Amino acid sequence: MANTAEQETQATLDESATPILELADATIKFGGLTAVDSVSFTLNKGDLFGLIGPNGAGKTTVFNIITGVYKPTSGDILFNGRNIAGLKPEKVAQLGICRTFQNIRLFGSLSVLENVVVGGFLRKKTGLFSALALLPPAVNETTELRKKAMDLLEVMDLADVAQSRAADLPYGKQRRLEIARAMATGPDLILLDEPAAGMNPQEKEALATTVRRIRDDFDKTVLLIEHDMRFVMNLCERIVVLDHGVEISAGTPDIVRNDPKVIEAYLGEESE
Amino acid sequence: MNPAVEIQKPSLLKFWGSRVISAIAAIAFCAGIQSLGGPLADNEFLYRIIVLSGLYVTLAVSLNLINGITGQFSIGHAAFYQVGAYTAGYLTVRMFSTQQIGEVPWLILMCLVGAAAAAITGLIVGLPSLRLKGDYLAIVTLGFGEIIRIIAINIDEVGGAYGLSIVPKIQSPWLIWALAILCIAVCRNLLKTAHGLPFLAVREDEVASSAMGVSTTKIKVTAFVIGSSFAGAAGALLAHYEAFITPDMFKMEVSFIVLTMVVIGGTGSITGSTVAALALFLLPEWLRGLKEANGDALVVSAPQLLGATLAIIAYIALARRVRDHYHGKPIQKAGFQFGVAAASLVLFFLFKAVFAQIGGLAGHEGWEINSLRMAIFAAVLIVIMLLRPQGVFGHHEFSWAWLKSLFVKKKQEAS
Repeated sequence: MANTAEQETQATLDESATPILELADATIKFGGLTAVDSVSFTLNKGDLFGLIGPNGAGKTTVFNIITGVYKPTSGDILFNGRNIAGLKPEKVAQLGICRTFQNIRLFGSLSVLENVVVGGFLRKKTGLFSALALLPPAVNETTELRKKAMDLLEVMDLADVAQSRAADLPYGKQRRLEIARAMATGPDLILLDEPAAGMNPQEKEALATTVRRIRDDFDKTVLLIEHDMRFVMNLCERIVVLDHGVEISAGTPDIVRNDPKVIEAYLGEESE
Repeated sequence: MNPAVEIQKPSLLKFWGSRVISAIAAIAFCAGIQSLGGPLADNEFLYRIIVLSGLYVTLAVSLNLINGITGQFSIGHAAFYQVGAYTAGYLTVRMFSTQQIGEVPWLILMCLVGAAAAAITGLIVGLPSLRLKGDYLAIVTLGFGEIIRIIAINIDEVGGAYGLSIVPKIQSPWLIWALAILCIAVCRNLLKTAHGLPFLAVREDEVASSAMGVSTTKIKVTAFVIGSSFAGAAGALLAHYEAFITPDMFKMEVSFIVLTMVVIGGTGSITGSTVAALALFLLPEWLRGLKEANGDALVVSAPQLLGATLAIIAYIALARRVRDHYHGKPIQKAGFQFGVAAASLVLFFLFKAVFAQIGGLAGHEGWEINSLRMAIFAAVLIVIMLLRPQGVFGHHEFSWAWLKSLFVKKKQEAS
């Protein structure tokens, strides 16, 4: 692969790192527009990784090609060493990547608990017939799934609203529920698309704690997109910066913060 | 706020106890339907209606699985009904006399065959067309329904446009209702377990469902196949009950009336589909038989009809205002709604009296209720849709816990 140089730099950052997700020259074109242009980066197990960039930089598109919503025009996406480029979203989720959405996509008329159970359902063991005949295996599994979902809601501090309709929750709780639902699928890697959007400073603080807990207590790898620079710089250990679909900088928050290209991308209006 | 929920395994006794009780109730109900034939022997029409309404319950509940629960807008349900009816009917004509099987076991076998035929058809139609969404899927299923009907018209082997006579006629009222109960039970069981949630999730948001590992195509096709197989089994029973089927019995309007049942009952609610299927199937038949006290056919006079129309319009306007702008306690709101209904009734008599003063109207001979029944049917649908667009039951299901929660909630809000 073409990104050996980058892998070396990452190896110097963390000697014991094992890569979990590698993007190698991932490119996607919509007609004449190249939305993501040869983006390469590597996430190691246990990373708390940030993906930032101005509006329209292609951040969400990167999420979409990782999770199978779009098939990359060229390039590879390796997850635990397996090329997942072009797999269907449900397959990607089953392999252990789960995501949240920038514009919240909960199952609005289902209860909070049911939303999380849907997440956990992909690890089901009983067949459909067992459910249609209401046989004990399916009933017991339902109880198990609901229990697990309830535990997760407690971690995410949503247990008190478990029976509410998801669409009736306040915004901040809906965002947390999206994370809980994604966590329920039992992923190795969790992708958060602007998890702090629309939150007030206290909520952001609490969210940062939660994200750290996801990584530390649950051993997940986290890749997040965020617009709030302070939030990203405080939370993430490594960051990739995209602009117009091109990777313009990568490294620790300090490196990125002082990179002239990044400053230009964000404050570029002056020079135009 | 709601308290945190304690999730416990249902106790074995409760689990099996409730199932045994449900099974006994179902058997008792089917036996009741069967034995109604005796006392209703002199009122064959009424018995026939009661029996056939079971088929519509099956159709509505099975379409609800596709339309309401999984959210795939299909309006070709009559086609699966027809596939089941023709497959089973044709096989009986050709093969029953050569077999040594009793009538009822044969009918059950034909139900399975009809279900299988419809399920295969559902699979063939569903696999390519379920990639479509909303209106597009609706148009494809609509077209498909017509194709099946026209195919039947053009195959002389099954009687073409004249229809197919099925010998022997096998009437089994209990089996018709057993199928309806089975259909309700299957859908209810699905929603009782976690296996039902992916179906609901697909309805709510396909992109999010697939991101959660739900194979949306598989779920949609599964719903389509289960739903159409029940319609197929219902078709098989219809064919043997009527002993005569024609392509005209499976016109688009059958699909539409079943769809109407689902929507009026509340999309997604099994209770709603069941109740609406019964109500909407029985209402036109009941209107047909309405008589004056002296036994003459009921005649609606012109002032009555005009008065009723105006009163209904007034009722809709008032009831909507109460619904949208009154935010008091539920009991008070219900009281207001009741008051609005009573006021509309008064308005009806008032309007009627006013119109009766107009010479030409009072002199009009009026219309027999029989000729107005479909208009009344339509008016009922319009009133329900304007006052309760989510359907009578919305997303709710009947359950004892739900019934209890209604009262508990009221008490909490009242205190």
